[in-house]
Amino acid sequence: MNLESQLRAALRHKQPPAGFRESALAATRRQPRLRPAWRAIAAAALLTLLAGGTTARWVEERREGQRAKEQVLTALRITTDKLRDTRETIHEASNH
Amino acid sequence: MNFTAAAETLPDDSLTRAQAGDSEAFAELVAAHEAMVFSLAFHFFGQRERAADVAQEVFLQLFRALDTIESQGHLLFWLRQVTSRKCIDELRRKRLRSVSLDDIAEPATPAPDPLLGRELRKLIARLPESQRIVVTLRYQEDLGPEEISHITNIPLNTVKSHLHRALRSLRRSLEES
Amino acid sequence: MRKYLLFFLLIATAAPIHAQKLSLDFPGLSEKASEVVDITLDAQMLRLASKFLSATDTDERDVRDIVGKLEGIYVRSYEFDKDGEYDRALVDRVRSQLGSSWKKIVNVRSKKHDNAEIYLDMRGDQAVGLVVIAAEPRQLTIVNIVGPIDLDKLSHLEGEFGIPRMSKKGQP
Repeated sequence: MNLESQLRAALRHKQPPAGFRESALAATRRQPRLRPAWRAIAAAALLTLLAGGTTARWVEERREGQRAKEQVLTALRITTDKLRDTRETIHEASNH
Repeated sequence: MNFTAAAETLPDDSLTRAQAGDSEAFAELVAAHEAMVFSLAFHFFGQRERAADVAQEVFLQLFRALDTIESQGHLLFWLRQVTSRKCIDELRRKRLRSVSLDDIAEPATPAPDPLLGRELRKLIARLPESQRIVVTLRYQEDLGPEEISHITNIPLNTVKSHLHRALRSLRRSLEES
Repeated sequence: MRKYLLFFLLIATAAPIHAQKLSLDFPGLSEKASEVVDITLDAQMLRLASKFLSATDTDERDVRDIVGKLEGIYVRSYEFDKDGEYDRALVDRVRSQLGSSWKKIVNVRSKKHDNAEIYLDMRGDQAVGLVVIAAEPRQLTIVNIVGPIDLDKLSHLEGEFGIPRMSKKGQP
């Protein structure tokens, strides 16, 4: 069995602990429901109009910023990955 | 965007009835998806209690946001996305740097190959968080890189890179052990 | 005349004042690769990313400190299904861009791990650029970091974001 099949077998769904469902439902009974989404959507649309598109620009900048942040972290991970591999190799060579 | 099909045993109108305030219908939604949500969290943390806490929060959030769910398929997407994000947020908040191998208690239903499955789950729980969630979504939920990218908001090429590195790391660890 | 000649020679051979960004354009390589990571972050994008790195979270703050001084981060990483899918001359083209101020500080060859070369662009005691070249039969990774770089600080990012730290025995 190859690794991918092994992973699928290892990551099959597991049942939650006994009492989980009752506990989750009990928690919801103590909570109020939010108002219907269309009101929130209408409020957001009005804000956007009033702000003259600033909100949309702000949302787009946030999205770009998060993407840039993710790319920075990926780039640094790749770099430290390579630095680590190099150190491991040097370490192994010095132990022989 | 394509949403995958909802759980097979769920009545077609459960979502609509739950949105109308039917608590039994909401219980049906929980029953249909609790294994998936719990498993995502369990395979991420390797800890039953923490996984159950996160799963409970997910369903609480679902209850509050029910009216925003458009379809059964959207519900599945929403649950996977919110569970993934909660796992990562929880990890960053509590700074779980390493998981002791002894902490990974196994649920009652073992995998067909219990030793290898257990070993793999331990190794997965030690992967960097982004690789961990990507591997879990890929092999627990059988999602493609594009769907994983939509759920996690990680760029597609980064998802592929995470998958590749995770598999390489797991292979190496299995060979060494 | 000799005075002018000497002047032009000095200008021609002098190391660039600014840290060096390499040309990492490999037309057609992405199409051959099974996995590609292509990251281009200039100074403007790095400033934007810094705004979204937390100043209170210790791990993200370390990244902010490193990234805040940089002028660019460029990564090209390609994985292939078969050996020999890329021309090794590409690596030579990258190396040929490294002028006299670049020092090769590491050159490793290993059966178990990636082969890697690490270069630092040195101006006196300060490193103002980093290049990592990892060239394997089925993988090519090139990292170019432009700007003041502290290798120690960079290495300390291991252990953050879930990257295992090297123990003394060489095991994570």
